[in-house]
Amino acid sequence: MFTCTGCALLCDDIEAIVENNRIKETRNTCRRGSARMKGAMFRLVPSIDQKPADFESSIKKAAEILRNSTSPMLFGLDNSTCEAQVKGIQLAKKINAIMDDTSSFCQGLLIEKILQKKLRTCSLDDIRNKADVLVYWGSDAQDSQPRHLSRFSYFPRGESRQRGYEEDRLAIAIDVRESNTAKICKGHFYRIPLKGDREFILALMEALSGKAPAYDTKNMLGLASILKKAEFGAIFVGIGLTYSIKNDFEILTELADMLPKFNIMPMVGHYNMRGFNEALFKETGFVNRVKFEGKAVHENKYAIIEALKNKSIDALVVVGSDPVLSLPRSVIAHLPSIPVVCIDPCQTFTSKIAAVNIPCAASGVESAGSAVRMDGKVIGLKKIIENNYLTDEDILKRLMEAV
Amino acid sequence: MGIDIGKFLKNPEFEILITTYRDIFQVEALERDRFGEDYKKLSAVITMSKNDMQKMGFKSGDRVKLSNNYGSVVVEVKESKKNEPGGLAFMINSPWSNILISGETDGKGIPEFKHITAKISLSKEEITPVTEITFHK
Ligand code: SF4
Repeated sequence: MFTCTGCALLCDDIEAIVENNRIKETRNTCRRGSARMKGAMFRLVPSIDQKPADFESSIKKAAEILRNSTSPMLFGLDNSTCEAQVKGIQLAKKINAIMDDTSSFCQGLLIEKILQKKLRTCSLDDIRNKADVLVYWGSDAQDSQPRHLSRFSYFPRGESRQRGYEEDRLAIAIDVRESNTAKICKGHFYRIPLKGDREFILALMEALSGKAPAYDTKNMLGLASILKKAEFGAIFVGIGLTYSIKNDFEILTELADMLPKFNIMPMVGHYNMRGFNEALFKETGFVNRVKFEGKAVHENKYAIIEALKNKSIDALVVVGSDPVLSLPRSVIAHLPSIPVVCIDPCQTFTSKIAAVNIPCAASGVESAGSAVRMDGKVIGLKKIIENNYLTDEDILKRLMEAV
Repeated sequence: MGIDIGKFLKNPEFEILITTYRDIFQVEALERDRFGEDYKKLSAVITMSKNDMQKMGFKSGDRVKLSNNYGSVVVEVKESKKNEPGGLAFMINSPWSNILISGETDGKGIPEFKHITAKISLSKEEITPVTEITFHK
């Protein structure tokens, strides 16, 4: 059995059929996982200034860029093993770099609250065994973590939920659109206006405290009564909710306080984003947006978005991430004017503008290690294919020796 | 030779509110080949309710230009298969939606990825090639 790195569910029941040293077929994966494990069509090749170079020269050039930089940033590592993340943090410390990852504009704040124990949480295994009321809030797990409902939440049998979805479990979706997850939550889909989450939470809290809220009174009272009756509930918080309530996690904490039987689960996309947050939190007390300068300083200006907008970095090392694909065009405009070092198994939009490209092994397929599932459980990754690619951990180590 | 008046008539423009979402088929295409036709076909699309399409005079398969202060992009318009009440259109998160995202964050580091306002109008231009959005040649 192997582990899929397609998303932060890290499904560890995967079988792989290998032919000519490539994964030909996978079993038990979802579509996303299958595509992920088979690997991208275009491998990254070592290059300098977009011209093919040998591996050693690329490392040397990357080190030179970092030596000449007065304000470097190390970004990414959400698609890397925990072992590589530790190396990345060591490198950032050594060169006094700014360090940030995708969680900075994704689920970082929520994970921080969970690591600070400000929100009650539980394991996915608890959910499978005990949960009777499941709330997908701003989260379309069916498309983003496609086996979430079948492995852990709605469909499976559990210790105290022998009859699964037919009798023992109820799923609710709260979303601005009728997602594929909402479709499964038949009769329990609450459509809210864009950015209407805050108002919805306030109304729900009124209903929970026995008042009749002005907002959608009948539905709200119905929902409150379902939630109150829950024996073991879970709220799966997707980025829909996170973006909508922005920095106001207090309101979610207040709601959670009124629902003592419920646990909060951050719906994480990248397979080891939580691992990155945990590793940096352990080292610095912060989950992202850190600058090392003797000690670790945390400020919003160290968020990749702000650093690019303010043009405050003069070199960027990207590991296993594609900011040119994922960031607003208005923000990435600064990128082509600074040297970018890209470490990735495959070609990305970022690698196409990078000054130096260094290919690495695809973790969980070409190299082993460990990663942290969305609920905080550490899952092992195995190596399926033998080849000569170095891991990103090794490359970061080499860079550290060379700077 | 007659003057082609149509050339000077601008297609009517409408205000539109857009949110972004994820789609498993598009993510699958991304994993396989983010430079390929499949990824573009699945990404460069805006989905609208039947009502809104009728109001604006669009048919599924038409090309539309979306523009705001941050950029403009040409994508295909499709009618939603779901029973959407209207007033909100949908794009899958991709470089094509990212072109319309504001960089304004109040210094907090999180752009409004799920809240876009733009103008929409029919367009004869080709779907915006990804290279135009992502700087690569
Ligand atoms: S749900 Fe996530 S981890 Fe599981 S097979 Fe699909 S992509 Fe892989």
